[in-house]
Amino acid sequence: MAKPTPSPVDELLPLPGPAFQMLLALGKGERHGYALKREILQRTGGKVNLGSGALYGSINKMLGQGLIEESDERPDSHLDDERRRYYRITPFGRKVAQAEAARMRELVQLADQRLGLAHG
Amino acid sequence: MAESKRIYRLLLKLYPARFREEYADPLERQFLDEYREAGGPLARSLFWMRALRDLAATVPGEIVREMRQDLLYAARIYRKRSLVTALALLALAMGIGATTGVFSVLNALLLRSLPFREPDRLVQLWQGGISVGGGRAQFLDAKARSPYLADAAGYTSNELSLSDFGDARRVIVTETSANFFALLGTEPQFGRSFSSEEDTPGQNSVAVISESLWRELSGRDPQILGSTIRLNGTPMTVIGVAPARFDYPAKTSVWTPTIFEFEHIPKEGFSWTSIGRLKPGVTLRQAQAISEAEVAQRSPEGLKRARPNRPELLSLRDQLAGPIREASLVLLGGVTFVLLIACANVAQLLLSRVSERRQELTLRAALGASRSRLVQQLITESTLLTFIAAAAGLGVAYWAARLASAVQPGGLITQQYTILDWRVLGFTAGLAVLTGIVFGVLPASLAGRMQPSAEVVRDQPGQSTGTRRMREALNLIQAALAIMLLAGSLTMGRSFLKMMDADLGYRTDHIVTLNASLVGTSYAKNGNQVQYFSHALDRLRAIPGVESAGAIGYLPLILGKMRMATGFRVENGPYTVSIQNFVTPEYFATIGTPVIAGRDFTDADREGLESVVIVSQDFIGKSGSTDVIGRELSYPQSKTKLRIVGVVRTPPPDNNATKDLPMVYFPVSQSNTEFMTFVARVRGKPEPYLGISRDAIQQVDRSVPVYDAQTLEKRFDDYLAKPRFYTTCIVFFGGFALLLAVIGIYGVASYSIAQRTKEIGVRIAVGASPGVVRGMLLRESLWPLALGMAAGVGGAIGLGQYLQHLMASAEPVGKWSCAAAALLLISAGAVAVWRATARVVRIDPMTALRAE
Repeated sequence: MAKPTPSPVDELLPLPGPAFQMLLALGKGERHGYALKREILQRTGGKVNLGSGALYGSINKMLGQGLIEESDERPDSHLDDERRRYYRITPFGRKVAQAEAARMRELVQLADQRLGLAHG
Repeated sequence: MAESKRIYRLLLKLYPARFREEYADPLERQFLDEYREAGGPLARSLFWMRALRDLAATVPGEIVREMRQDLLYAARIYRKRSLVTALALLALAMGIGATTGVFSVLNALLLRSLPFREPDRLVQLWQGGISVGGGRAQFLDAKARSPYLADAAGYTSNELSLSDFGDARRVIVTETSANFFALLGTEPQFGRSFSSEEDTPGQNSVAVISESLWRELSGRDPQILGSTIRLNGTPMTVIGVAPARFDYPAKTSVWTPTIFEFEHIPKEGFSWTSIGRLKPGVTLRQAQAISEAEVAQRSPEGLKRARPNRPELLSLRDQLAGPIREASLVLLGGVTFVLLIACANVAQLLLSRVSERRQELTLRAALGASRSRLVQQLITESTLLTFIAAAAGLGVAYWAARLASAVQPGGLITQQYTILDWRVLGFTAGLAVLTGIVFGVLPASLAGRMQPSAEVVRDQPGQSTGTRRMREALNLIQAALAIMLLAGSLTMGRSFLKMMDADLGYRTDHIVTLNASLVGTSYAKNGNQVQYFSHALDRLRAIPGVESAGAIGYLPLILGKMRMATGFRVENGPYTVSIQNFVTPEYFATIGTPVIAGRDFTDADREGLESVVIVSQDFIGKSGSTDVIGRELSYPQSKTKLRIVGVVRTPPPDNNATKDLPMVYFPVSQSNTEFMTFVARVRGKPEPYLGISRDAIQQVDRSVPVYDAQTLEKRFDDYLAKPRFYTTCIVFFGGFALLLAVIGIYGVASYSIAQRTKEIGVRIAVGASPGVVRGMLLRESLWPLALGMAAGVGGAIGLGQYLQHLMASAEPVGKWSCAAAALLLISAGAVAVWRATARVVRIDPMTALRAE
């Protein structure tokens, strides 16, 4: 199959929630699927609990969009199961995540102007 | 634990192949991790529910995603091989469309219901025991005593003159017993049908008319009830209007309960038919057995007679569909062949895809990749092809169904059906998908199952003898089918050309024909027919532009007219069954039939003088007497001695049952015939003269119906329409089959060369000339063709015997047609292979070997 050609950043925005969460998690380094899921679960206080199908469906799609790529490096073959696959964020993925964050920031600013931010 | 793992692994199979291949392992792994962490039974059940919800939410999306990718990929593949794909598509579309169209019509004719109540219980009694010939009381008695019929009705249909509503016109009148409508279960939409006593002589001057006649006569005016129409001069009171589109039998416009009083409405012929409804619980088979036993008792010799003269009990539906059934079955056979050949072409296309991907596939298998991934792609490819073909086929089907129904005979107009049958379309498209799966997916799947070894991986992809054998077998089948169609179409085409070219014994150009009937008019009653015909001819000849004119009782090519056959003998010779016909002077000259010996009739051949006749040329041969001019002819019905004064060229055979009988022509002036067809030779185009001639003859007497004005060319065209339609279809199918077969042969040859480049390189490197190599490839490609042709010739001869039922002059498929078809196919095949091998010349042995 042909290599995915990255689409312009704007076309991917707004990112689906799980995808943004995953890009955020991969921002810290490579992860395998299950680790991604756990980190997101933890960070959202148990609110975003991705099923395996949803998780790998998102991974499959993001691979196709060029947001992430599969990593060839394994931490240590003794420590890890060979069947586990590791993913890392691509430079394009980083750009998209940043754009998504900027979009959210604008939204937050707008909300602040109109509604005021709750401080507490 | 192990149980859950197994179930989850099974559920993962719901995902499409590529996704499964990529993620099945991590998904399973993660499932197990989480399952372990879940702990207690309750938590595990909750976890299972979450997992199921997750599957339900994600599986459809992944399927759609992959299908889209597969479709785009397939479209790209097909674009790359656009010519082969387009041809396969065209073949499939034609196959699916034509099969659907023809089968739809056939289905409507044979399988769907007639517009009668419980049509399956209706039968036709062919020369059966319940006869209207013995009068009403006898008929009712026989009907009541029948062990298997609940009810029976008799009818006779004739074309009669209808007057008292504007100009006289000709309509089909069916005279029946009173229970006709009740038996069929059809009630008039307006007014009433006949009461049970109304077929008694003296009470029977009533009529039910068809909806279309109601519209034509009075523009659907309800006042029509109670008004009077005249049928051949006999007044009848209209009591009802039949339901819309009901015109059984034979496009009837008027039904009257006069079957038991033959003389009530004067007419020429009389032959009746009986129909019946089976008693409840009696099957058609049982009824047929009883009826046969009855016939055996009544008239044992009847059972020995050939159809259609053998007494028989038939289902009414079969009887109605009969005339078109065989023809449609032959068409269906033809299109099925085309469909099969088209499927073989699609199979070739898909097989070549399998071969191309064999190396890729074997490599994948060696790397542990799943076979299902390739199978999924191939299924998508073949399904895409089929769906496009089916869509295009719809258009073809519509066209084919319209054409096929256009040639249906009149008796079937009672049928009301929508043309396109979706079940049939589904069936043919399904067949094509099946082809795709059998030839595109199965070999791939088998190939993938093979043990991946280093050798296989290194090997050339197309070397697999399995798929090559399969492609050769497909070529063989295609060749056999193509030969059968080709030989059949050559035979049909040849006999059609013969029909067109047949020496008609007359010329069809510049001739106007029109009919007049005196039956039931004052001329017939007073014996003044000759006077009328002579006045009419005078008017016709007076039209400027008419060069000559005459008239004949039964014009060849007027279909469905009753002809009277009688035995004639020359002096004391044997009787020769011939048709009695009537002509005026100048008829033969007008129509261009040469008088071979003796003379034509003249105005001097009048009543009261010596009775003279002219015979057709074949009378001489059939009667065994030579030199007949001046000799005496006699026939049992009359004591009058007839003098043969001339011999004319034999007219052409037509579609009538009496087509092979010779003619004996009487001068109209010495006969009392009441029906004539006028013929006039005109200068220039005959069409403008149609109306002029009709008006001229009508001026003699407006109460005499003058009708069916047509050019002779048109009549000839109509006569040829049906054979022309079938011939065109079969010839087209034959040509198409040849094209498809040649495409198949070319494909296999060029593919096998592409795959054997290395071997060919070696052969050339060790000194074989390209010509020798090409010769070898040609021989290898042509042997499956030769085998297929041998099988095809056998089939063609069988097919030909079937085709003989179809056309009056069809011949058995002879050895020449087979030889011509074989020669055509083998030379086309050889040219295709030779073209395909052209690239052998360009193969550089060094390059070919370096591929190693």
